Amino acid sequence: MEFLTTKIYFYLGTLPVTKTVVSTWLVMGALIIASILATRHLKFIPGRWQNILEMFVEGIINMIEDMSPHNGKQLLPLVGALALFIGSANLAGLIPGLKAPTSDFNTTLALALVVFCAVPYYGVKNQGWKNYLKVYITPSPIMAPFHIISEVTRTFSLALRLFGNILGEEIVIAILFILSPLIVPVPMMLFAIFTGVIQAYIFTILTIVYLSAAIEKEDSAEG
Amino acid sequence: MQGEILFLCVTVVTAGFAIAIGVIFPALGQGKACAKALEGIARQPEATGPISRTLFVGLALLESLAIYVLVVSLILLFANPLLKYVFK
Repeated sequence: MEFLTTKIYFYLGTLPVTKTVVSTWLVMGALIIASILATRHLKFIPGRWQNILEMFVEGIINMIEDMSPHNGKQLLPLVGALALFIGSANLAGLIPGLKAPTSDFNTTLALALVVFCAVPYYGVKNQGWKNYLKVYITPSPIMAPFHIISEVTRTFSLALRLFGNILGEEIVIAILFILSPLIVPVPMMLFAIFTGVIQAYIFTILTIVYLSAAIEKEDSAEG
Repeated sequence: MQGEILFLCVTVVTAGFAIAIGVIFPALGQGKACAKALEGIARQPEATGPISRTLFVGLALLESLAIYVLVVSLILLFANPLLKYVFK
């Protein structure tokens, strides 16, 4: 059993195409096709699929506005995309033959790096270079290395948390499957649905916390 | 061969003990956080939304400690970087 390495399907030039990459592209394709189909005939009185999407978008906007008011529209594209992708990627692991893309450390590290880069982007965009950089030297310039260290470590912990949770769940299911493949893994798989959704929620809400701390002016730089 | 077998035994035992000990303290912390949050909700049911949101964030931060231990023991078991020095 190999959990930390993934099967390589074929080589694209010198680039190995692993099971993770294939699963990621399948998830992406499913999401893109679903959203194109759902938004093809937008109506004023929404149909079933449009209703689901509107509920999701409004839910994300409400989540953001609870943390930082008036920034819902601005952060929606990034945060909503992260939530949708991570949620469906976590659940994709339950489909036979697919591997949850988030049980590969490369995927989660990439997602965390997106957040790492988005924090200064939105910070500078909303309060300018001067004010954004000022956060690093408060209360005194001695604290600057600690601010930088905390930004790097929180990126790693964001990536490791998602990776560890999903991989741990996958390993538990695999071991139960080896022991008795008939009915016993089913409760654990139901629990995996719960964990996947909760982890997507947690990644999203931590992203919102980090971004809203960068956007806000002066006061409250916790998180 | 003796040394290699000893190395493997020590690795497996260490991974087991690491996860066993490393899970205790995050679990205690999470229990404490949950208990306090429930107390807060029981005292003030209208604050359920903000309390449970903060609770989730706090639990996630606590849980990452246990996840670090899990990752370390998984690396010890499945991707031990020292193996290539022992088995030449």
